[in-house]
Amino acid sequence: MSAEKLATLEDAAALVCDGDTVAILNMATQAAPMALVRELIRQERQDLGVVCLVGGIPVDWLAAAGAMNRLIGAAVSMEQFGLCQRYRKAVEAGAIRVEELSETALNARLGAGARNLPFLPTRGLIGTDLIDVNDNLVMLDDPFGGPSVVACKALVPDVALVHAHKADRFGNIGYEPTALWPDLGIMPKAATTVIVTAEEIVDSEVLRANPDRTVLPGFMVDAVVEAPFGAHPTSFSPRYGYDTAMHLEWIGAARDDEAVAVFLEKYVTGPADHAAYLETVGGAEQMTALRNWEAS
Amino acid sequence: MSDWRNSPPAEDWTIDELMIARLAACFGDGDQACNGMASFVPVSAFWLARLTHAPDLVWLAGAVGLEPRPDRVPASTLEAPLWRDSIMYVEQYGDFWNFALNGRWLTKFCVGAAQLDRYGNGNNSVIGTDYHNPRVRLPGTAGLGDMGSIGKRLYYWNPNHNPRSLVERVDFISCAGYLGGGSERADAGLEGGPELVITNLAVMDFHPETRHMRVASLHPGVTFEQVQEATGFELPAPEGPIPTTEAPTAEQVRLIRDIIDPDNMRRREFGR
Repeated sequence: MSAEKLATLEDAAALVCDGDTVAILNMATQAAPMALVRELIRQERQDLGVVCLVGGIPVDWLAAAGAMNRLIGAAVSMEQFGLCQRYRKAVEAGAIRVEELSETALNARLGAGARNLPFLPTRGLIGTDLIDVNDNLVMLDDPFGGPSVVACKALVPDVALVHAHKADRFGNIGYEPTALWPDLGIMPKAATTVIVTAEEIVDSEVLRANPDRTVLPGFMVDAVVEAPFGAHPTSFSPRYGYDTAMHLEWIGAARDDEAVAVFLEKYVTGPADHAAYLETVGGAEQMTALRNWEAS
Repeated sequence: MSDWRNSPPAEDWTIDELMIARLAACFGDGDQACNGMASFVPVSAFWLARLTHAPDLVWLAGAVGLEPRPDRVPASTLEAPLWRDSIMYVEQYGDFWNFALNGRWLTKFCVGAAQLDRYGNGNNSVIGTDYHNPRVRLPGTAGLGDMGSIGKRLYYWNPNHNPRSLVERVDFISCAGYLGGGSERADAGLEGGPELVITNLAVMDFHPETRHMRVASLHPGVTFEQVQEATGFELPAPEGPIPTTEAPTAEQVRLIRDIIDPDNMRRREFGR
């Protein structure tokens, strides 16, 4: 028998410790495990390091809440909604240290972590200043006589947070037909602990009907939590679009410390649970609009 | 297929349309093109090329969706509506970077950078002299830090040509151009490099030996002095009359306005 992995949001988030390096699978406005991110803030987690390819609103909320002190990633941006201003301010104030990597360098660091290698090389970044400011990147002669490469030191995040469409109670994770988000192929595999929220917990038979859509096996997943609209206000194709109004409300609030506190209280720390959060952000009516990409 | 070959120059073109048409001319059949986030000008250019001179230009929307059929340019160039009806989803870690790093494919790449210097180095990392204590934290290099170093031909687009974005020397190199100029890029073992800079005032290229940026063509109605005024470093004085950038044709303008981007998303990049 496989082990049961079902957990509550509270218990799953409690697997993350203060100071942990936490990989967040997401892109600028897509597929972020927001229910878990909010729960980490509710639990007042501190000194987190965030790993992301392109971090958006989850990074800005964690920065606004003072929950993180370092970032390892390729970019932080909410694309059409602009730069993440609270993150930016925290970096400029020296409260968050940034290890900026190109996409192939991040992939190489995670790939080495996943495969238990000391490093993997890339040809990216050569000639840039990003190598000089980063002890985890070192120019390396090709032992076979070719051009030099950049050795990217293995990165093993303590935890990876992933949002998915479907999971069974044993932690097998299924994706619906959609673009696979960039680092799903590597980020969770490098992490020591993997926590997944899913739009729905399904019977294993549902996954067996389309095993080609199972993207992570249960044996590597430590906890699964049911969280419908768990990526809100980011998009989660094909189920729903990003919430434009909420992104706009956030960028408005982010200009002012007091407004940030009010926003976080209203949407993050205030609602008693995930269901209450969904009511606060507009309930069934808004969820229908998001499903139809009418609020994006 | 539209009758683009016999179309006269447009009479009421706008600068976004000129930039899109000029960038489209850089991409042909046999090329593969991909776009990143907030890339309305490149996306419109790829699409325009496919509707006119380059029907076989391969487009990998958002570096995710192959040969998409979007309804129109959407509010995001990195969200699902852009890659509607794709023939394949390209997984980033396993597929996209294999294709991009291989060297045979995706040989051209469009770059938007907060700062670009006279030798074509780009900066999307930090403003200020100390990386760890920046005056301004920019979004980050994302894929540019790779594309500048792996032999791609780089096409910079800049809808807001001003001395803050076109600088003598970038505060920090997050996309490798010709580095310190001359043979420095080649000496570092890097192939490819910056080809063109297409702005709202002019098209610039790079001198084949010094690798210094220079004006290749002025957009209609723009003078060299205006471009110099808007540039944060000294441009080489023109050796003769500078060509005028070709205005888009009536058909190109119609395609952009009616088919590709009826919601004017491309305008969002201008006036910043």
